[in-house]
Amino acid sequence: MSQTLAVVRAAFTDATARPAAFWTQVGAMVANDLAMIAFWILFFHQVRSVRGWDADRVFLLFAILATAAGIVLGFLSNARRIPELVETGSLDEALSLPMSPLRYLLVRRVDTVNVGDVVFGVVLFLVTGHPTPQRAALFVGGVVVAATLLTAFLVTLGSVVFFTGRGEPGALGMHAILLLAGYPVDIFTGAAKGLLYTVVPAAFVAAVPARIVDAPSWRDVALMLLATAVFVVLARTAFGLGLRRYTSGSAWGRG
Amino acid sequence: MSAPARGAAVPVAPPAPGLTPLLVLRRLAVPAATASRRVLADRGGLVTSVVFFLLVSVVLSALWRAAAGPSGTVVGYTAAELTWYAFAAEAAVCTIDLRLIERIGEDISSGSVAVEMLRPLPVVAVRLAVESGRALGRLVALVVVGSGAAWLLAGPPPDALHGLLALVSLALGVVVNVAAQHVVASAAFRLRDVRATWFLYQKTVFILGGMLLPLEVLPGALRTLALWCPFMAMAYAPARLATGQGTALLLLVQAGWLVVLVAAAAFVFARGQRRLEVVGG
Repeated sequence: MSQTLAVVRAAFTDATARPAAFWTQVGAMVANDLAMIAFWILFFHQVRSVRGWDADRVFLLFAILATAAGIVLGFLSNARRIPELVETGSLDEALSLPMSPLRYLLVRRVDTVNVGDVVFGVVLFLVTGHPTPQRAALFVGGVVVAATLLTAFLVTLGSVVFFTGRGEPGALGMHAILLLAGYPVDIFTGAAKGLLYTVVPAAFVAAVPARIVDAPSWRDVALMLLATAVFVVLARTAFGLGLRRYTSGSAWGRG
Repeated sequence: MSAPARGAAVPVAPPAPGLTPLLVLRRLAVPAATASRRVLADRGGLVTSVVFFLLVSVVLSALWRAAAGPSGTVVGYTAAELTWYAFAAEAAVCTIDLRLIERIGEDISSGSVAVEMLRPLPVVAVRLAVESGRALGRLVALVVVGSGAAWLLAGPPPDALHGLLALVSLALGVVVNVAAQHVVASAAFRLRDVRATWFLYQKTVFILGGMLLPLEVLPGALRTLALWCPFMAMAYAPARLATGQGTALLLLVQAGWLVVLVAAAAFVFARGQRRLEVVGG
């Protein structure tokens, strides 16, 4: 554990070494998120609600998504870079260390721009989420589980590169889950909606946690924990099996 | 070669003698066509672009269809028209490299643009030709796949003639967008770092360009502002034509913005090139 903390500390020091650049990046992402809020305000100005989702519920969904995605893409930013690390041979440095390579990779790098998402998500919840102690606790719990699920999903898809040599599934998967999670799940019907609860578990990244904050139910909590557990097992298995096939060696050897 | 201690002004190649505008256009067609062929030959990259475009379009059209309901309308558009709107607007924007501004800015701030200045054609002209060629090559794939998907979800295009106008409008919108991104990225000649601007530019196109929503959704003053901005020529114009609404006047507005933005890009690049200094050899 102390090794992990040391790596986290180093990653933070690296990311905040230039405070001006750090805050500029955070500000840029907050502005970016504000544009999406502007979209939803304009949308709900014309359409009062969509299949039970009104502005308040969508803001809550967006707050959870921004915070969870900000944690994953900001503080565990290598979760989305596994294909790139494998293709460039950058995985080698993790293999020689006395700690789990996956754990090391996940905490090794902080992407400052996505830290802005975390700031924005928390502020959005405080401003529009009608925070009470119970809702705040559910928000925090939902964000933690959603971030775990998102990390596991990205690692699983990223690990496809070990078997196919192609990194596109990882990149596409990330865009897909973030995009699909950003809209009310009930706008989809039939098989498309089913996919969001299974293959691309976008519903569990924002819509289900938002539902839990609004109307807590043990069924939703159990479903969310089950989905997260399944993807964590998948991620560990895919990365572990992939690592056994990893033979690229040092990037220096490629001439 | 050792690097000079101070930055050195980059020599600009003089225009080749006898280079008429028509000849310039013919010469620019070559890199544009090559860029198009390259995009279409890169099957992996093309599939990724198409899948991403489909994802965004399907999600947005689902949102608007749900908002309109089976027989209702939103700001005068039916669910089927909103579906065609979403696919056309997304095709117009998704066909261009998301981080084009960042890429141009890096080429300027790193000095690699200096090599392009040695060519007997204006830097910005060649860049516009190559980027437009790339985007238009990709657009062909997006239009084919997107039309099929929209047809499956919402039935045939609302009006065949408007559909044809929308195709022309899409091509115009793409070139307008590429030119505008060159204007914005040229700030790198002064600022060196324009990485954060692509975020803001993109979001402006999302809202004022009508990529996420028809401009009729915007409240009064904001709608007027959006209709007077060049961003409407990038996504709203082709998307509105794809819904079977709007007139050919939209194409004229797009052509007007194209002239203005290409001239602006040429002007800011010419000024920037004069002040560009590159360190190193």
